[in-house]
Amino acid sequence: MIRFLGSFILALIVAVAVGLYLGWVQFPREQVDRPASVLATTFSDDYTVMIAQGYLLDRDITGALERLRLLQVENIPAHVQEVAERFITNSREVRDLQALVTLSEGLGRLTPIMEPYRPVNQGA
Amino acid sequence: METVDVAPYQLSQMDKQQFMVAIGLAYAQDSDLDRAVNRLVALRLPGDPIQAMADTACELARTGYVNSSSGLRAVGAMMTFYQGQGRTGCADTLITAAGAATQVVDIQLPTNTPTVTPAATKTATPESAALATATPVAVVVPTAAPQITYEAISVNTACGLADSGQIQVFVYEINGATGIPAQPIRVRWNGGESTFYTGLKPERDPGYADFTMEENINYIVDMPGLAEPIQTALSAVPCTDPTTGERAITTYRVIFRALS
Repeated sequence: MIRFLGSFILALIVAVAVGLYLGWVQFPREQVDRPASVLATTFSDDYTVMIAQGYLLDRDITGALERLRLLQVENIPAHVQEVAERFITNSREVRDLQALVTLSEGLGRLTPIMEPYRPVNQGA
Repeated sequence: METVDVAPYQLSQMDKQQFMVAIGLAYAQDSDLDRAVNRLVALRLPGDPIQAMADTACELARTGYVNSSSGLRAVGAMMTFYQGQGRTGCADTLITAAGAATQVVDIQLPTNTPTVTPAATKTATPESAALATATPVAVVVPTAAPQITYEAISVNTACGLADSGQIQVFVYEINGATGIPAQPIRVRWNGGESTFYTGLKPERDPGYADFTMEENINYIVDMPGLAEPIQTALSAVPCTDPTTGERAITTYRVIFRALS
């Protein structure tokens, strides 16, 4: 009887351990229906670049602002400036820099580090 | 507990829609199909992701989203994307020629006074065939229109004393890895231009060529007759070498890739 109980408890512990491993590590439950405000930086940056590209095309600052509200950042111009400057610092693709700089300038935040990336037809 | 660092596929349906709008807008600006498709794939949409774009455009076209010119333009951009890939959606019929409606075409009509075409002058005809000078037969050789066979796929910046102020160009085959020598690269700036060829520094890469810029001058790079100029002028601006901390001039790496 004691031997049976020992085996039973051991099997129970192993089963619980395997269940926890599968549920937490191997196949964790995917969180869905999350708001864009908790997007990973890589993706929120990419979203900002896409909106900046749209702005580069149509110069619709109201539309760009409206779309960036999705990220629920406190200060959209500051966010765009921060992304633009970080992209410049990290030598990201020039076409992305150009879009971000154009949008940042459209939002009234053109800083000296951005100057070289202004599109040619905007040059002084 | 607030979850952070989620991926696009974890977004709510409404936010995914906005993400798709952004993908359409970005594609309308850069026409980079690979990039657009990769972004769509990140949303892990069920079924065909491009058709999902068409379906989303359809949903938006049925709502007040397209009542503003901004929304209309965005749906138009999505339509351009999926129509180019052979997909259709109800937005095609709900919004006819959305793009055309928002494009302003500025046609400059000539205002000069038309000039009178001068009357043809009479040319004396030789009295006899013997006196006439034989004119060589003009052979018209048709010239083919320039073939765009390459596209600029990336322009990156770097800062280093070793290659300060260089425009480094790489020309690759369609696989993006095999360098192609003897390809012309043209660099133009205000008041000058220079054409040089890839392959002169095979130790770097068979498809490599470089050009040294002068400080504070803007340069346009293209492959004459083979690729459109890159959209961004490259500015020879100062930078600080991150390893030595010394001042250098920005280096640009431009990659052209064969289209076929």
